[in-house]
Amino acid sequence: MALQILIVDDSPAMRSFIRRVMKLSGIEVEQYFEAGNGEEGLAQLAANPIDAVLTDINMPVMDGEEFVRKMRADGAHQSTPVIVISTDATTHRIQTMQELGAVGYLQKPFGPEQLRNELDRVLGVGHE
Amino acid sequence: MSDTAIHEPAAPEMDALIGALLHSCSEHVLETMFFAAVFEAADPAASTGCERVTSRLHFSGKPSGDFEVDADPGIARALTAGFLGIEESEVTSAQEDEVMAEFCNMTCGSALSSLGCVEYFNLQVPETTRSEAFAPEVEGVRRAFLLDGGTLSVCLRVDFDRS
Ligand SMILES: [Mg+2]
Repeated sequence: MALQILIVDDSPAMRSFIRRVMKLSGIEVEQYFEAGNGEEGLAQLAANPIDAVLTDINMPVMDGEEFVRKMRADGAHQSTPVIVISTDATTHRIQTMQELGAVGYLQKPFGPEQLRNELDRVLGVGHE
Repeated sequence: MSDTAIHEPAAPEMDALIGALLHSCSEHVLETMFFAAVFEAADPAASTGCERVTSRLHFSGKPSGDFEVDADPGIARALTAGFLGIEESEVTSAQEDEVMAEFCNMTCGSALSSLGCVEYFNLQVPETTRSEAFAPEVEGVRRAFLLDGGTLSVCLRVDFDRS
């Protein structure tokens, strides 16, 4: 099953890198939705059927913490898997994001293999 | 705390550890996300006075500090093309600004995450600038690398006791 992926990151360069690595990883994506901050991310979630969310933490307007918190508070998106993509791999940060409801964590730098493993893990292997 | 205490954690061992982390993290970031190889270490002082593309950020937390990266303009363009998967001739200066900022963010973040004595940190948005005659603004542990076609250097200052 090809996936509908939402990428939330304030850097267009990073969003484009994620799409590129996704392609290299061999994961089949039907459609990408993109957002430059958490607020736009919530709007994309409300308007589209999303299978998994990849989100940055540091963003203007609404950061990744508030985005995941608001997403989890909304009944419609309580179980949509969220993978955080961040350069910050301190226990403090990972715990905070997990407590808010993120199920995956990908530390930058990462390549196709790490992205694929994390998506397989949160979606269940054999999701395609 | 007394003034002398400010320099205590920046002992030679800590500087050596930060230097080693700057090397391994830069190399890992360049290889994994920019598809660029580091050939060898270069002289960190050699970029002073040269034309460079620079990106800097401040981080707050426990501890706080600053990070700076400077690159030959040709290297900044090559890294941008590598990161975005486009031809060097297609690279715009806005893309270069953004990608150098990403490099700054990622290398600083992974060095801090690996340092071991960092409780938490928040990275500010990096700012990319260009100068005809580069002068380092961050005074800390600096390492430089020779890549294909030029050099890149990184510098990290960690203020252990101002947190
Ligand atoms: Mg960001």
